[in-house]
Amino acid sequence: MKKNKYLLLGCSLASLALLLGAAVEENFLKEWRRIQARGSNEEGAIPVQLRQVVNQQLGVADRCVSCHVAMGPGEQAVQGGEILVPHKAVVHDPAEYGCTVCHAGQGQATEKADAHGDVHFWPEPMLAKEMSYAGCGTCHSALGVPGQEGLQSATLAFERLDCYACHRVDGKGGTVRPDQGGMEGPDLSRTGLTAYDAGWHEKHVRKSAEAQAGAWKTAFRAVSEEDQALLAMYLATRVAAPQLVAAKAVFHSGGCLGCHKVSGVGGDDGPDLSRAGFKDPGQVSFEHVPGKGNMKNWMAEHFRAPASVVVGSQMPPAALSDNEIQQLTYYTLSLRRKELRDQYLPKDRIRAVKFSEREFATDGGTLYGAFCAGCHGQDGRGRRLAGLVSFPSITNPDFLAIAPEALLAQTVEHGRPGRRMPGWLKSDALRPEEVKAVVAHVRGLGGVTAEADSKPARWVAGDRNHGKRLFESTCTGCHGAEGKGGEGPALHNKVLLGAATDTYLVETVSRGRRGTAMAAFLEPSPVRPALTKSDIESVVAYLRSLEGGK
Amino acid sequence: MNTVEPKSKALDEFAGNLKSLPQRFRESAFRTGAPTTDRTRSTFVFGNVFLHLHAVRTHRWSLRWTTTMGLGIMSVSAFLIALVTGVMLMFYYKPYPEAAYQSIKDIHFVVPTGRLIRNLHRWSANIMVIAVILHMARAFYTAAYRRPREYNWLMGIGLLVVTLGLSFTGYLLPWDQLAYWAITIGANIAQSPREITDALGITEYFDPGGFQRLLLLGSDQVGAEALIRFYLLHVMILPLGLAALMAVHFWRIRKDGGMVRPVDADAQLARQGGETYPVFTEAPAKTYQLAAIVRGRTPQTGRGPENTVPSMPHLFYAELGVLMLTLLVCLALSLVSDAPLKELANPSVPENPAKAPWYFLGLQELVSFSAFMGGIGIPMIVLVGLGLIPYLDRETEGTGQWFGGPGGWPLVRLSMVVGLCAPTVIEAFAIRFGWLREWFPAIPQLIVTAINPATILTAIYALYSLWCIRRYGSVRAGALALFTCFLCGFLVLTIIGTYFRGPNWVFYWSPAEWPKH
Repeated sequence: MKKNKYLLLGCSLASLALLLGAAVEENFLKEWRRIQARGSNEEGAIPVQLRQVVNQQLGVADRCVSCHVAMGPGEQAVQGGEILVPHKAVVHDPAEYGCTVCHAGQGQATEKADAHGDVHFWPEPMLAKEMSYAGCGTCHSALGVPGQEGLQSATLAFERLDCYACHRVDGKGGTVRPDQGGMEGPDLSRTGLTAYDAGWHEKHVRKSAEAQAGAWKTAFRAVSEEDQALLAMYLATRVAAPQLVAAKAVFHSGGCLGCHKVSGVGGDDGPDLSRAGFKDPGQVSFEHVPGKGNMKNWMAEHFRAPASVVVGSQMPPAALSDNEIQQLTYYTLSLRRKELRDQYLPKDRIRAVKFSEREFATDGGTLYGAFCAGCHGQDGRGRRLAGLVSFPSITNPDFLAIAPEALLAQTVEHGRPGRRMPGWLKSDALRPEEVKAVVAHVRGLGGVTAEADSKPARWVAGDRNHGKRLFESTCTGCHGAEGKGGEGPALHNKVLLGAATDTYLVETVSRGRRGTAMAAFLEPSPVRPALTKSDIESVVAYLRSLEGGK
Repeated sequence: MNTVEPKSKALDEFAGNLKSLPQRFRESAFRTGAPTTDRTRSTFVFGNVFLHLHAVRTHRWSLRWTTTMGLGIMSVSAFLIALVTGVMLMFYYKPYPEAAYQSIKDIHFVVPTGRLIRNLHRWSANIMVIAVILHMARAFYTAAYRRPREYNWLMGIGLLVVTLGLSFTGYLLPWDQLAYWAITIGANIAQSPREITDALGITEYFDPGGFQRLLLLGSDQVGAEALIRFYLLHVMILPLGLAALMAVHFWRIRKDGGMVRPVDADAQLARQGGETYPVFTEAPAKTYQLAAIVRGRTPQTGRGPENTVPSMPHLFYAELGVLMLTLLVCLALSLVSDAPLKELANPSVPENPAKAPWYFLGLQELVSFSAFMGGIGIPMIVLVGLGLIPYLDRETEGTGQWFGGPGGWPLVRLSMVVGLCAPTVIEAFAIRFGWLREWFPAIPQLIVTAINPATILTAIYALYSLWCIRRYGSVRAGALALFTCFLCGFLVLTIIGTYFRGPNWVFYWSPAEWPKH
């Protein structure tokens, strides 16, 4: 039975060896231990120990500082190569806030792949370095951000009015000049967060008048009301994250809110995007996504070709440049709002949640871009996309010429039941004054004002039966029997008939709508005789009879 | 001055006592001295509360590696390793959703040796399941269940069930996606009697399936209630139950006459000759039998009475050796492979495929054909069948021999072919052509429950075994055939469930072919 003895001896020795090996591995060979062993501060080598930032209010226990020691509390002086560098100066001290609040990743992990979230089952991988500011979205939401055009003209106004001469914004301007001047004004990079003196313009005018020479005399001139509004818009969006704001502007130009909600405002057709930045890479398909399988690439490809990335997606592909798609990705990744304890609630979020301030600017252009442009196009000419119903042009001059403001407003407010156009006057969508702004913007886009109409809304007194016969012989081909719709839009729609005046209906039939299949029926055509005014009125009278039904 | 004398004497005595303290302590602990003689070796065993479960002498047959392959001791060893590491894990584990997951993350990343301890716990648990199954196979193939060991065979089946229960309840505790959905599947298997009650339309009044599931989860879905239940079962109820059953199991081994051995074991040992080792070293304090002190080259020489050797140290070397071997294997596996920990459990994102722990994947495979048959029917048939074996096979031929009994190894070999081919062919057919539900969508569920690949496989195994009983004229032959088929079927189904089932339980040759969800 000697072999039992040898079994015991051999296994015991081998177990001991493995345990020793495990002990060495754990106590000496761990990556973070080796990194810390390279580090030193003015007092010499730093103790090698597990380091972490704990913030219970934020639910953070980040061991990232076990490797990135110099970013830990009170360790800025630690040196020792590439990983042991301090964090760049930021408003939120990483020693207090931890790392994962902004950068995501797995704070509890102590190994690189796990910590950076490069493991397939960690749902919140680290944000790419060039998109770090997407992390701001965990707590913040920039308010009053206009669309791309609005933001661009606001930025240009700031430049044109030479504000950079004295002010520094986002690291630009306010440089010291040869005449010893420069930096006369405060840094304006965070005016969206901290607010600023509302009476700045009067003060500027006064000071400029008093000044004899120097920047006050040369660099400032009274600013027009229009430009003041642009500057206000610009300053409202300075939150020390200019790229993220620019990205949000792209989002507010693509009509995304027409289908998606962000923070409870927007349409219902698409999924709510309030936490889209937390989309779990383990739960999506990368089959049709070129490049590395990360959410950045997934989202970019998804914007380019939604249906190929997400089977059955009804989202129209974005007509955007590569750069804009990157920006859209950037903003979407920033939609990662977390629940926060009161003491960490930032002002902007309180303003948004408690005081119902808008994340988008509320001028007509921005509202149209954020809510309408997805379907009706940036220029309002409508869109035709393969596999989707075509979206009508709303800047058609024939339409705008006869559509009174009330018709436009009612259409925006109540939508068109049965079609994709939703009603927007809702607690989770637009407010009455916002609808007005949108309508004014649409009118401006078309550049055609409505003809004056002195008649009451309902004045037609035609022969309904005659109208019915005419309708069946002339209109049903496109608009369907009893106006139920076919290739052309349904006409028995209650909301449409409620909003449309008789003048509008009569004029539409009479003049037709150029650019669409709707012909002008007052004119003869090779395939049918012209209708008379009274014929058309009879048809309208018939249409009115459909209103009572469904 | 007279009074000083006794004082100094007492001081001397004190000093002397202090000096002899280690020796006195040793003597008080080991009252009969070093185990260097047969007598002291015996007292070493029966004077020790932990060792006296062993006989003082062990038959040489029991110590041969081929007799037991150490599988029973390996099961106990794995249990001990799991027990020790499990208690250590309890210091850090918090049995509440979310907190549970975070605490496992902490154990994995920052608790000193935490990762190794957790890996050891996981691997020892898996090895325990494997060892228990193999141990049962050993007991079966050497016909060790026969009289007088029938009852201990039943205890063994109880231990198998408790072992699976322990492993299964531990599965939920990390509270990650893997755990959550595996337990959801497991709980649904518990609910499978509903298939019958639904088909009969009586679920509303009589719902044993729903009750079982509720009993297991304490709620209608896997949540905090289920976690605390599983935790309590895992750390308290089942280990205590296992310990109690183990005590009976070991006690019975002793009382049933130790390891089973063939009637001609002594003759076989004599034929082999070879290995001799000193039975006695220093002069024995007392001899028990004349033969024990004979020295020479006769067969009995050096073998002690009736071919036995003192348990101390021979048996203990073997037992400790297996313990250390088990530890070594667990350690090696723990160092190369981490226990899995996926993302936090999320009830709204089902894993697809959601798979039960591996030892239940064979059952899950059957459940995919019929929930009731896979979840309750066939497991019950198997357990009852296993329990009945010692009472139906009352033969004596081949006891204590590997594959002993009529038919022997050739029969087992044939049964392996049948046992492996039958499920493979049936699975291949069902995967290729579908089953009743695909052919006749409107067919009543009871028919599918009665006729499906699972029941057909069971029927084939049963008929084949009956044929073996007839052919060899022996119940043992039928048992050999059936048990071999059962093991092979378990193997094939588990492998299919583990490696060849993808999302929605569809067959795939490899996970690389899975649709990228």
